[in-house]
Amino acid sequence: MRYLLIDRIKEIKDNTIVGVKNVAMSEDFLEFHFPDRPVMPGVLLLEALVQLAGWFTLKKTDFTKWFLLQDITLCKFYSFALPGDQITLTVENINDTSFKGIGEVDGKKKVVAEFSGIVIDVEEVEDREQQKRRFETLIRQESWK
Amino acid sequence: MRFLYYDKIDIINKGKDIIGVKTFSLSEEFFRGHFTKKPLIPGVIYIEAMAQLLGWLIIYTHNFNLSSIMTLIDGVRVCPDLRPGIKATIHGEIINTNKRDSLGRAWMTVDGDEIARINRIIYSHFHNVDSDMLKRWFHYYSGIDVRQ
Repeated sequence: MRYLLIDRIKEIKDNTIVGVKNVAMSEDFLEFHFPDRPVMPGVLLLEALVQLAGWFTLKKTDFTKWFLLQDITLCKFYSFALPGDQITLTVENINDTSFKGIGEVDGKKKVVAEFSGIVIDVEEVEDREQQKRRFETLIRQESWK
Repeated sequence: MRFLYYDKIDIINKGKDIIGVKTFSLSEEFFRGHFTKKPLIPGVIYIEAMAQLLGWLIIYTHNFNLSSIMTLIDGVRVCPDLRPGIKATIHGEIINTNKRDSLGRAWMTVDGDEIARINRIIYSHFHNVDSDMLKRWFHYYSGIDVRQ
């Protein structure tokens, strides 16, 4: 599995970002979670929100910074996300290192989280140009179409 | 990828606590993407490791007659930038448990230093389970045989 939990970025504004994660039956994590009842693991819903905060940070800093998780004030899981679900994730930026996120399927709440972390130079962990191209793919930017 | 984030259980005390081990190797699947230039253990993986281990303690405490699933966590701190090559000890404690749900806390250490913590974790219980199957999985996952 490639540990990339955002499939598409639908919208990015001053303080919010909206992304999508599609849950496919072919996902590796469903084999053991759970053996006879495939359910998207709650922590991966949380990871999707964290990665969306990463993409927000990247765009806001002109593709120079990335976000890493350190603290979760609160994270609540409401119901299961199942194979075939399209999860709409919305992350709100509180300050440079704090975010609030929600994950929904067909308007039904699946996860809510308040988290914060550290901001690092993207060059520490990824090639900046490559990460920029990934962002363009996610947001379906004109230059990529 | 096998979504199992502990390697074994060392100590388990019904209704009380559990201690297990998770080693992080460079061959873990989640390093494909996290990240390309530097392998960093994603913080949520520690949460999953603690939740899985404490979840088994709850199932064990209730004699494999129910299953547990994490529904809330708060007061969580994880180390944001650790590389593979570490062996972490996972500690889990039950604060309260009844038929419907459980409350606990958990933390992880490497050579005595804390790398992750959940101050409060709540599980909901599911009663429609196959006890024999749960016991077989527990045996496989933990190395502890609870079958008669």
